[in-house]
Parts: sequence; structure tokens; C-alpha cells
Amino acid sequence: MTVEPEASLEGWTPEVMDAASLAEVIERAFDYRGDVTIVRRDGSEVVGYLFNRDAAVARPFVQVFEQQGGPPLTLPYADIRTIRFTGRDTATGNSYAAWLRSREAAKAARSAPDV
Amino acid sequence: MSVPLSQMLTVTSYVLKQRLRGRRRYPLVLMLEPLYRCNLACAGCGKIQYPAHILKKNLSVEACLAAVEECGAPMVSIPGGEPLMYPDIGRLVKELVARRKYVYLCTNAILLKEKLQAGVFTPSKYLSFSVHLDGLREEHDETVCREGVYDQAVEGIREALRRGFRVTTNSTLFDGTSAIRMQMFFDEMMDIGVEGMMLSPGYSYAKAPDQEHFLRRQKTHELFSKMLENPKKRWKFNQSPLFLQFLMGKWDFECTPWGMPAYNIFGWQRPCYLLQEGYAASFKDLMENTAWESYGHKSGNEKCKDCMVHCGYEATAVDFTFASFKGLKAAAQATLTGKL
Repeated sequence: MTVEPEASLEGWTPEVMDAASLAEVIERAFDYRGDVTIVRRDGSEVVGYLFNRDAAVARPFVQVFEQQGGPPLTLPYADIRTIRFTGRDTATGNSYAAWLRSREAAKAARSAPDV
Repeated sequence: MSVPLSQMLTVTSYVLKQRLRGRRRYPLVLMLEPLYRCNLACAGCGKIQYPAHILKKNLSVEACLAAVEECGAPMVSIPGGEPLMYPDIGRLVKELVARRKYVYLCTNAILLKEKLQAGVFTPSKYLSFSVHLDGLREEHDETVCREGVYDQAVEGIREALRRGFRVTTNSTLFDGTSAIRMQMFFDEMMDIGVEGMMLSPGYSYAKAPDQEHFLRRQKTHELFSKMLENPKKRWKFNQSPLFLQFLMGKWDFECTPWGMPAYNIFGWQRPCYLLQEGYAASFKDLMENTAWESYGHKSGNEKCKDCMVHCGYEATAVDFTFASFKGLKAAAQATLTGKL
């Protein structure tokens, strides 16, 4: 399981081999600013934003706001087979640079002589 | 300094009570974020990058009030997101004022004039609009990535002042900020008639789009020293003078991340307003089960290394004021003389 640290995880479908790698995938999902699809051991899926996790308690769990709405859902680590990074990563891109480029372009257009 | 006397007395008696009770860790300001939606997408902000269904969520007024009661801090800051986009902002503020909480409503002020004209708010000594302005027109519009916002904010400020509201400003400073331009900004804000200004260096949110322009410690000292070494008597700052002196490099404070705890749609944010390492279900859980020793400048935590932000260090400065004669004397001196 290797991921470029700076790359977006959008579209990532990790293969979870053991509890340790599941914990790592959960950490990544917690840090991810997009929706994920949690695949349970029974094959059912939950799509939503994973906003919290606690691995330090007796029964480690994650908390998710489902995409369809409703109160947060709590899922034990033990019930999770894997997590797919299916939603758009809202933290990627370089909007500041894009804004600077568009601002410079607008300035250039304003200062261009009328023909 | 420009904090009104009644507010100063409230904070003083609260801090003294905490100290007399031997409470080592106590909250000073609750950072209450009822929503993450915003009508801007500023380059240095890491608060709003969420899927649409998260951005649509609001805390209920009841949940906000329960958090305020549970926390017990005398001051409540309402950032976000943009709090003027919160549908129940009028009712929330009214309830907080009724509980005699000093409220700082942190807004970009784009909607301020409209909300004031609609009669959403009533002037009170407990309510201050803390308008986000990162400098003069050119600098501010650049940091918020939209032209015309400075003018809108100033229009909102003038309208609020005309209607008898308390208005302060909050400015986040980044690398490349000109000390002279900021001094011109201070003059402009005083000319407009704001009650006071709040300053803080920015925090390099891992999720913020612009990662290049966050101030590091030495640069922060240099910038704030240059800006505030000989402050004009007319410049009023609505914050602890010792915090400003800390930014100038005159004090070596440690972070108190519990001083300004954050509550939002996810719960009580661990460990502070800036870092998101998890969420506690209750304020008690946050205070008792957070590994506080893992945070702050001296902890060696990479995420805390360069941070000098108000939400970690202003509470330290206030606590220090009442913890020693040295602190009290320095704060009194700065307050009376206006010298930093």
C-alpha cells in the first residue's frame, strides 16, 4: 500500500490486508476532505464524510455523516472491510494560484489599449 | 487598549475565580462554529473544504446554547464559515446576549448591511461585530480572492456604527505583509471609528490552498515589532497587550490550546481551533482526555512549531496577566500608556 504523500487520494481503492493497514486507511480517510465509501464486512456500503475516529478506545470506531443526510453514524473498526475514496477531494487544486492568474489576466485585459 | 471596562471586569473576575479554584486548565473564549458554509473562499483558509452535504449542515441554536453552557467561558466567538449565512444567527445572538456572554460575531461583512437593515440584531454592550479585514483594499481583496470585498465590509462597518453597534476588526497577517501598509490600515480603521482591532499571524492549515505565505516565528517577530514598536496613541487594539508583545518577541509564552476551545457540527474539536485531530462528544471529554502535552511550541509537535495564533496564545497572555505581578504590571503599563 504505497501512496504519494502529496497526491490526492481521490479514486483510491486500497486493498486492506490486516488490522494495521485498515487503521492506516482509516487515518487517511479521516484526513481526506471528500466523501468515502465504507465497505462493511457483510458487503453493505455506507457513503459519506468520515469526520472522526478513535482507535484508542476498547472498541475502536469511526463516525460518518452519510451523504443522504441524518445524524452521524458510528461504525466499529471491526465491521469495516475497506474504505474507497470515492468522493471529490475538496482540498485539492490550487485556487490561490488560479485566482492570481485570473486577476493578472483581468488586469492585463483592462490595461490593453482599445482597438 | 479598547476593551470596554465591563468586559474587562467580567474577564478579570472570571480568570481570578478559576485561579482561586486552582483550575489549571480553563476556557476563556468558546469558538462556536454553527456552520462551515462561506460566501468567500480565501487563500489562507482551511475551514471550508468539505463536501456539499457537510457545508449545508447547521448546528441547532439549542446545540449551540448547550455547548455554551457546558463550556462556561465568558466570551463566545462565532466564526465559521460565515455566521451571517447561519439561518438562526439573530436568535442565537439574542440568546447569548440574554446569558450575558460577550459575543464576537466574526464576519466578512458582505451580508452585514443587509442583515442590519432587516433588523436581525439589536445593539448591546455584549455584541461586537468582528469584521475580517486583512489590510487595506488591495491587500484584503487579494487575501480573500475577490475584488470589492473590502468596500463591502467598510460599508457594513459604517452601517453598524451608525446604528450604535460595537465593531472591531480582525486581521490575519501573512508573509509579505507590509508594516507601513498595516499602519495605514490602523489609521483608516480609527478614522472609520471602529472600537478596536485584533491581529494575529495566520496558521498554515494543511488544507489551505496557499501554503507559501504563512509567517514563521522570526518573521512574525520582525513584522509585529516593525508595525507596533511606536504605536500611535489613537490605535486601539481589542486584545491583550501582552499577546501583541508576544508577537513582537518580548515574551516567550507557551500555547494553551484549551483556552479557546472549538465546537462545531462534528463536536468538540481536539485539540484546538486550528488542528483537527479528532472530536470529543463533550467538553468534559475534551478537557480530560486530550493529550495536551503533545501540543504547543515546546512539545516538538511539527504542526505547532511555527504557530503563534491568538487562539493558542491570547489565553496564555491573559492568564499570565493574572498569574504574576510582572504580568499584571506589564499589562497595566501597556493599557495605560498605549506603548507595547
